Amino acid sequence: MMTAFFASEFFANWRRNGSAIAGSVILVIFAVIVVFGPWLVWQDPYDVAGLDLMDSYKPPAWLPGGDPRFPLGTDGQGRDVLAAIIYGTRISVLIGVSAMICSLVIGTFVGLVAGYFRGRLDGLIMRIADIQLSFPSMLIALFLMSAFGTGIDKVLIALTAVGWVVYARTVRGQTLSESGREYVQAARVAGLRNAKIIRRHILPNVTTPLIVVATVQVGTFILIEASLSFLGVGVPITQPSLGLLIKNGFDVLFSGLWWVSVFPGLFIMALVFGINLFGDFLRDELNPRLK
Amino acid sequence: MTAMLEVEKLEQKFDVSGGLLDRLSFSGGRILSPRRVVQAVNGVSFDVQQGEVLALVGESGCGKSTVAKTIARIHNPTGGTIRIDGQEVQGLSDRELLPVRSKMQMIFQDPYASLNPRQRVRDIVAEPLLEQTGNRAEARDKTEALLARVGLNAEHAGRYPHQFSGGQRQRIGIARALSVNPRLIIADEPVSALDVSIQAQILNLMMDLRDEFGLAYLFISHDLSVVHHIADRVAVMYLGFMVETAPRDTLFAMPRHPYTRALLSAAPTLDPAKKARQIELTGEVPSALSLPSGCCFRTRCPFAWDRCAAERPALRDTGDGQQVACHLIDEPERDKP
Amino acid sequence: MKDMTETLLRVDDLRTHFHTFAGTVKAVDGVSFSLAKGEIMGLVGESGGGKSVVGFSILGLIDSPGRIESGQILFDGEDLAKASEDRMHKIRGKEIAMIFQDPMTSLNPLHPIGRQMDEMLRLHTDLDARGRRARCIRMLEDVGISQAEDRLDSYPHQFSGGMRQRVVIAIAMLAEPRLIVADEPTTALDVTIQAQILKLIRRQVREHGASMILVTHDLAVVAEMADHITVLYCGKVVERGPTRQVIDDPRHPYTAGLIASIPDPSDRKHRLDQIPGAVPDIRKLPRGCNFRDRCPRAQALCAEREPDLETQEPGRSAACHFPVEGGGT
Ligand SMILES: Nc1ncnc2c1ncn2[C@@H]1O[C@H](COP(=O)(O)OP(=O)(O)O)[C@@H](O)[C@H]1O
Ligand SMILES: Nc1ncnc2c1ncn2[C@@H]1O[C@H](COP(=O)(O)OP(=O)(O)O)[C@@H](O)[C@H]1O
Ligand code: SF4
Ligand code: SF4
Ligand SMILES: [Mg+2]
Ligand SMILES: [Mg+2]
Repeated sequence: MMTAFFASEFFANWRRNGSAIAGSVILVIFAVIVVFGPWLVWQDPYDVAGLDLMDSYKPPAWLPGGDPRFPLGTDGQGRDVLAAIIYGTRISVLIGVSAMICSLVIGTFVGLVAGYFRGRLDGLIMRIADIQLSFPSMLIALFLMSAFGTGIDKVLIALTAVGWVVYARTVRGQTLSESGREYVQAARVAGLRNAKIIRRHILPNVTTPLIVVATVQVGTFILIEASLSFLGVGVPITQPSLGLLIKNGFDVLFSGLWWVSVFPGLFIMALVFGINLFGDFLRDELNPRLK
Repeated sequence: MTAMLEVEKLEQKFDVSGGLLDRLSFSGGRILSPRRVVQAVNGVSFDVQQGEVLALVGESGCGKSTVAKTIARIHNPTGGTIRIDGQEVQGLSDRELLPVRSKMQMIFQDPYASLNPRQRVRDIVAEPLLEQTGNRAEARDKTEALLARVGLNAEHAGRYPHQFSGGQRQRIGIARALSVNPRLIIADEPVSALDVSIQAQILNLMMDLRDEFGLAYLFISHDLSVVHHIADRVAVMYLGFMVETAPRDTLFAMPRHPYTRALLSAAPTLDPAKKARQIELTGEVPSALSLPSGCCFRTRCPFAWDRCAAERPALRDTGDGQQVACHLIDEPERDKP
Repeated sequence: MKDMTETLLRVDDLRTHFHTFAGTVKAVDGVSFSLAKGEIMGLVGESGGGKSVVGFSILGLIDSPGRIESGQILFDGEDLAKASEDRMHKIRGKEIAMIFQDPMTSLNPLHPIGRQMDEMLRLHTDLDARGRRARCIRMLEDVGISQAEDRLDSYPHQFSGGMRQRVVIAIAMLAEPRLIVADEPTTALDVTIQAQILKLIRRQVREHGASMILVTHDLAVVAEMADHITVLYCGKVVERGPTRQVIDDPRHPYTAGLIASIPDPSDRKHRLDQIPGAVPDIRKLPRGCNFRDRCPRAQALCAEREPDLETQEPGRSAACHFPVEGGGT
């Protein structure tokens, strides 16, 4: 299995593709941060008892007045910026990935049903999708969040409401073309019912293009969530994501205390950059038309 | 003896006008453009006896596959009756159809598209049988035996379709069709996508299987030399109509419908010197969206006269099991180009 | 009969290989043939035999990962295998035209056909606008398109498949090329349309005194069209000769097998003669003769040494250690 992977054309192309390698390295670093985060920091940034106001607004360690305990400095409550970023990254990634999974599941289901059964239901679903796609995702999410109020669960709902459409459309298109193919007709002749045909024959054959969509969408979701939080309608202050960290530091940005918000910003940038680099590589590899 | 398959006045129409939004238009003084209906099959009748090979021929778009797929109930017919082994099937639900499917199976044209790329060969072949019985042990034994019978070996069972050549895939499709011991096989251009040397292998296999299992075939093809080799009887379709049916030797020696004659003289042969009298056609097949009045073939027929536009010729017996739908039968003196 | 001795095209030991991830595909591996002025040559064989790659090589249309490794393509004395892309650009269309199986390969869906025809003439002739237009109309009428003048403004999608192939033929013939490479020009068409198109191609070729390479998997089409046949198997020529002789009296076991596996209406047998097995993976060819795993005549020598293309009798050659005896099958 593993040796087959290393002998594959996929792996060979990856090895020759600088941006794919860079993207992968970034993603691995972030994966380590997400999985092992709590063990990487010496301070729990949200345990107020462990904070000391005496440490507030310390600059990064290499600047005059810096403290080696706080490599990237501290915020107004004496919280280690690096620790806050590591915790924030976990929340951002958690939200991005979970919202992607919810969107994927719901959108795929809707797309399969619409594409396989067609007819009025299909027309209705696709018109809803068209209307939704004529508004920027950010605007819809913002609107929903101002109706719901803050909370991780609410961010998830808002992102899923925005994100299912792209899967529904992709899957519907694939399903339309797959269900006209002869192997699906053969399944009907074999006597399979619709539900089984969809599950056993169509679903496995429509998923490949979703991998790319899903990868890139995690990046998009992380950015939308960050924007929502920055605007104060995202996650609550007790569970700050990277976006909220930027907002928290933004008030003091122009008083020379730049590190509180610039470092979370750089982390988001690196994360989304890595995701997109890797997504582009996947797109080239999995797109049969380019082969 | 009941016929294995009887089709009467079979009709299949496809509405291709789409939803309301697709029909919205600002031309012709109306808001909704009229419905567009493909009249793919227009009242076709024929039967296939037990153990018989009936070949259905005609050019692409004439409705051969639609006939096949309607009989196999991939489509529901919009009109007419279909009897399989004496039982009417056109109104049956999916559940009621299941036992019928053990009598009738189908082989498809495209060796690449007709096998699910994500399924292993053993699962592909066992699928129809499992649907009938649910007995996995039996299905496994049967699958092994079938793969051997169609010329594949046991180690092939665990592979995926992309690891096989076109001819081998067609063998897999044949094994799948045989798994439920059907007595009627609908074969939609089973060798059209194959190279000639492979085509001969598959045709031989299909004929051996017929002798072995007493199969009846509805064999669809556009290749007349293949049809001549395999068929007991031949039915010729044009634009969704049946224009002529006859026993094989009669049809090839004495084709009566002008379209059949044109088809025979257009087919390239290895020995062009031996070719029959040429009827050359001009023009192309009209659209199935708007059929010509009268005879379906009149737009290309070198003999057509005014009666052909006014009156649709019915398929009529001309003796010796031959049936022809053409007004020339009444007025043979017009049979000179 | 035209003078068939003057050679127009001579392909000599052509090797075109594709360097893919999974290994080198020797799609064309040492192919030689020559084509006289006014001759129609059928290039036949099963799919994957290298027929299309020969055609593309002649036109200089081999793209990466493919490459012409060696050999000569002498067109009127000039070696096209070494010609620059600029030079090939001038030759394509003007001197050598190509007709593909799918007419949309050569038509631009965004332009009316009149404009595409006009471009061709502007590039390769020095007719003025009025002359070009007249020529286009005449050409369309010639290939059997009625109301040609109105049809100049139609887009390719407004034609049926058979009509589109006619338009492609009209475009191909416009600049009066000396060589036409037709790659399965009628494979996608129905027999009655095929018959029309084949007749049209033959007439056009004969009237303009051009030569043609007709690439097809269909021996019956070749039997009706070609003067000579070249049979390819796994990238190599296995047999060459005048059409009737090759079909009535094939020398190479592969050619014989191909012909025998076509059902013959005048001699109906219960079982067809079949060639066992399938074309081998071209990346893993057997040692010795490529056909040996499927050949009924194979002997020990066939596994050891690859047969060379040898002259069997004047004008005929086959690459086989134990060719089928002459005198008809
Ligand atoms: N599912 C479908 N929807 C709409 N039109 C169809 C459908 N299937 C077939 N047709 C049309 O019906 C006609 C007959 O097609 P088909 O049965 O595939 O012909 P053949 O198999 O003889 O080539 C064609 O005009 C085709 O476009
Ligand atoms: N662009 C390509 N890349 C890799 N292999 C190719 C390419 N084009 C053709 N081939 C290979 O070359 C061989 C000959 O192909 P082709 O000339 O198309 O055969 P034919 O026209 O006789 O069917 C095949 O094995 C095919 O897979
Ligand atoms: S009925 Fe008339 S148009 Fe039709 S086939 Fe006969 S002669 Fe031709
Ligand atoms: S060389 Fe041998 S194996 Fe090859 S074709 Fe001739 S007899 Fe057959
Ligand atoms: Mg069909
Ligand atoms: Mg080819």
